Amino acid sequence: MHNLLNWILWMPMLGVLGVLLIPRSKTTMVKYWSLVNTIITFGLTLVLYANFDTSVGAMQDVFNVSYPWIAQFNIFYKLGVDGISLPMIVLTGLLFFICVLSSWTIEKQVKGYFALFLFLQASVFGVFLSLDFFLFYVFWEVMLIPMFFLIGIWGGENREYAAIKFFLYTFFGSILMLIGMVALYYVAGTFDILALSGGKFIDKELEMFGIILPFAKLFFVFMFIGFAIKVPVFPFHTWLPHAHVQAPTAISVILAGVLLKMGTYGFLRIAFPIFPSASVYFADAIAVLGLVNAIYGAFCAMAQDDVKKLVAYSSVSHMGFVMMGLAAMTTAGMNGAVLQMFNHGTSTAMMFLLIGILYERSHHRWIVRPDGTRGFGGLYTQLPKFSIIFIIAMFASMGLPGLSGFISEALIFLGLYKVYPTITLMSLMALLIGAAYLLWMFKRMFFGEVLESCKKYTDVNAREIFYMLPLCVAVIVFGIHPAPVLNVMKASVGNLIDLLSKF
Amino acid sequence: MYLKYLASIGHYIPELLATLTMVGLILIEATFGRKKESRFWFYFAGIMGLIATLSALISGLGNESVRVFTNSVTIDGFSTLAKIIMVLGTMACIYLSMVSKDIEESIKPEYSILAVGVMVGGMLLASASNMLIFYIGIETLSILSYAMASFKKTDDRSSEAGLKYALYGGVSAGIMLFGMSHIFGTLGTIHFVEMADKISGLDSIQLAILLPSFLLFFVGVGYKIACVPFHMWAPDVYEGSPVPVTTFFSIVPKIAGMAAIIRLTMELFSTATPLSIAWIGLLSMVAAITMTVGNVAAIGQRSVKRMLAYSSISHAGVMLLGAVVANEAGASSILFYGVNYLFMTLVAFYIVSFVQDKYGNDHFERFNGLIKSHPLMAILMTIVMFSLSGIPPLSGFVAKFNIFAAVVEKKYYVLALIAGVNSVISLYYYSKIVRFMIFKDSESDTPVMGFTYRNQFIIAVMALPILIFGLFWSDLMSLTSGAKVFIN
Repeated sequence: MHNLLNWILWMPMLGVLGVLLIPRSKTTMVKYWSLVNTIITFGLTLVLYANFDTSVGAMQDVFNVSYPWIAQFNIFYKLGVDGISLPMIVLTGLLFFICVLSSWTIEKQVKGYFALFLFLQASVFGVFLSLDFFLFYVFWEVMLIPMFFLIGIWGGENREYAAIKFFLYTFFGSILMLIGMVALYYVAGTFDILALSGGKFIDKELEMFGIILPFAKLFFVFMFIGFAIKVPVFPFHTWLPHAHVQAPTAISVILAGVLLKMGTYGFLRIAFPIFPSASVYFADAIAVLGLVNAIYGAFCAMAQDDVKKLVAYSSVSHMGFVMMGLAAMTTAGMNGAVLQMFNHGTSTAMMFLLIGILYERSHHRWIVRPDGTRGFGGLYTQLPKFSIIFIIAMFASMGLPGLSGFISEALIFLGLYKVYPTITLMSLMALLIGAAYLLWMFKRMFFGEVLESCKKYTDVNAREIFYMLPLCVAVIVFGIHPAPVLNVMKASVGNLIDLLSKF
Repeated sequence: MYLKYLASIGHYIPELLATLTMVGLILIEATFGRKKESRFWFYFAGIMGLIATLSALISGLGNESVRVFTNSVTIDGFSTLAKIIMVLGTMACIYLSMVSKDIEESIKPEYSILAVGVMVGGMLLASASNMLIFYIGIETLSILSYAMASFKKTDDRSSEAGLKYALYGGVSAGIMLFGMSHIFGTLGTIHFVEMADKISGLDSIQLAILLPSFLLFFVGVGYKIACVPFHMWAPDVYEGSPVPVTTFFSIVPKIAGMAAIIRLTMELFSTATPLSIAWIGLLSMVAAITMTVGNVAAIGQRSVKRMLAYSSISHAGVMLLGAVVANEAGASSILFYGVNYLFMTLVAFYIVSFVQDKYGNDHFERFNGLIKSHPLMAILMTIVMFSLSGIPPLSGFVAKFNIFAAVVEKKYYVLALIAGVNSVISLYYYSKIVRFMIFKDSESDTPVMGFTYRNQFIIAVMALPILIFGLFWSDLMSLTSGAKVFIN
């Protein structure tokens, strides 16, 4: 059992190796190999879930892995799992498995695609599992390489611009993180995240050109920018619409479903525990930024004519809720935020997958074409099964009671209201706009007369239903009974709240 | 006295071997140069001589540091490791010159002879601990370099490069000599050790008088490593010269100059005096400007070679940061950087060289679709480009991390920030070539002739350290931090 995390982390790399060994012409074999590999990995994450002790809030000792790596800098290869990372790990396992199925229609350079795709999975696991800051940073950066190629080679028309913008933006953020990380090392003598945690740097000061600056606050801001670019928090969000629109479907799903959560995960795992005092100090600012995200993202989404861009901006809006939940620093708010990370992962993944399915039939994504005519119409009559799945996804994303989005958003608001009543009331507006743009989009695409161009579309096939099904189940089940996820995170989130409440 | 000199020679075997190699090569070329088949033996002798030098250096790696020739030359771990980098670089460049089409067949032997000569100058410079030796080292390095720069005799640009290089070099050497003579006039000694003693006894006004002379002194070295504002010659020379020459210039003189700056800084300015504060301030400013100017200028280039030339200017700036901290961690981080920079630069230039041999120029478009025609080369080039911009888990990242660590340890956060932002800028133009290679379609179906199996194998072997040192750099780090600068 104590090597389980190693297996989860390196299984996808094993998959990469296998893909590389398969001859270039055997594309179906590459696909089946990747599918089997991701199923095994998903299975391993479920094993992890089954063996997880929900009563323990700290790192679960049974699973810890730790080997010395670079003695000179006291760097360890250290992996661990707790209640905050576990939902993300299971989500990663699930989404990559689904995305292999959704990538089945890829025909361009299949071998390269799946090799990079599995490589991406390994690096994402690395980020969620690392307990050593240096190791975390390495995985955080490594992830950029497969993303750069996946967007740049298999993306849409403007893919190169989107790929390089994504790459540069994130790289800039991580450089700030790197400086903060090294500065921490020279104060504490370790890269171990757990050893750094607990607010050890409160009284530290640092002098620059004769000005005394508070160490913790300065480097909290550095880390904040690094993670905020990933979330993305306004005003660092401008890479996101480009990346989403240009990326192939599966990569959009991963981007929205998993990669954005790495930003908020960074807050939970690194920024908050290491700099609790600074986090409390900046909580107001984070809450306001979250609010701006939620409302601004929603308004932007409303203005889009491209349905994928609309969903991309809705992600900005939903991540704003996560930020607000984090800023509340109350039990309900924080739990809601982590739950929202998971739920947004499933519901947005559904939306992107559905748009991908639609795109394969229509080869465009315009709600309203640039010339003013309708891009889609009457899909409900033409594609009934598709529409039902779409409705589930849309309502989950909207936060309708009974579906998963509702629970997490409700928790966030409950937690937020105690601390920031005004912000809570204002953020309710984002929900309203959210409902408006989704329903308006639905009306324009699915109702009305069936357009001539839409008549040749075929409904979802068995493969597509098969990979949508687990997500539908997740969205409905966790909407009614969120306990399986909430129980896992409760203790760990509680620990974090305890730490933060001391400052 | 004579006995002491004889004993000194015992520590000086690598340099002697290198000089013998050069003399031997001249003799072989002069005697058998006409015959085509003698070429093989010429290169064989050259490589053997360099291997002998390399083994002499490696065997001396663990030895105790000594000053020989009446304190003029310091043989320590730091200089030995720097020399190893230079010898390896020279060997690789000689092989490149052998297979490159950029140099005329009839004058290829001259390249090797001059390269070994420059290397001897570099070795001298890396151990110089007296101003005279320092000057001789720089001049040996420079004068032979002028000849190398104007290697394409029929090409106007190459002649221009040589002339520019010579003019700039002559002026900066003169300025440096002027500064040195002033220092000698003030302190009455040319030995670094005695200079350091004297400086610690001076009061601040005397130091203020001394400061301009050190600025002049810096001009000479600054020119050699092409740091801003003495970098103007570099892009033209790098572009005008044949690729093997450019490759050589961006490795050997740079490492030698960097080693000299480190030694100078560590011996004279590692204790805090007003003078050392000024020197460190100067270095940090130059480093920051060099990084930024080199990077910003690299963005707009059309030719890959010119882009690499500008980026090597910015790498010199990053390496200078290791001198700014003026401690052992800094020296070690520079060596670490040097080792990794060697392999990255070699792989990049090898690939550029072969592509240029096919098309006659090396504009970015020439790399279009390389992934289709030569996947391995394109992947290795991609790895090198990402490594140069500092993305883990590649060795370029680790090298930058070490420099960062040394800088942050001294709490120079602003410098670290500037270096970091520069990494981001560099990623833009480094990834540009990746975009051309991988995202674009090829413009010609004929393969690049230079990528024979042997050459591909050599490139792959040189790329291996980039991957290995990116993950397992503990041993390399003990090596570089064990190679200390000798100060008494």
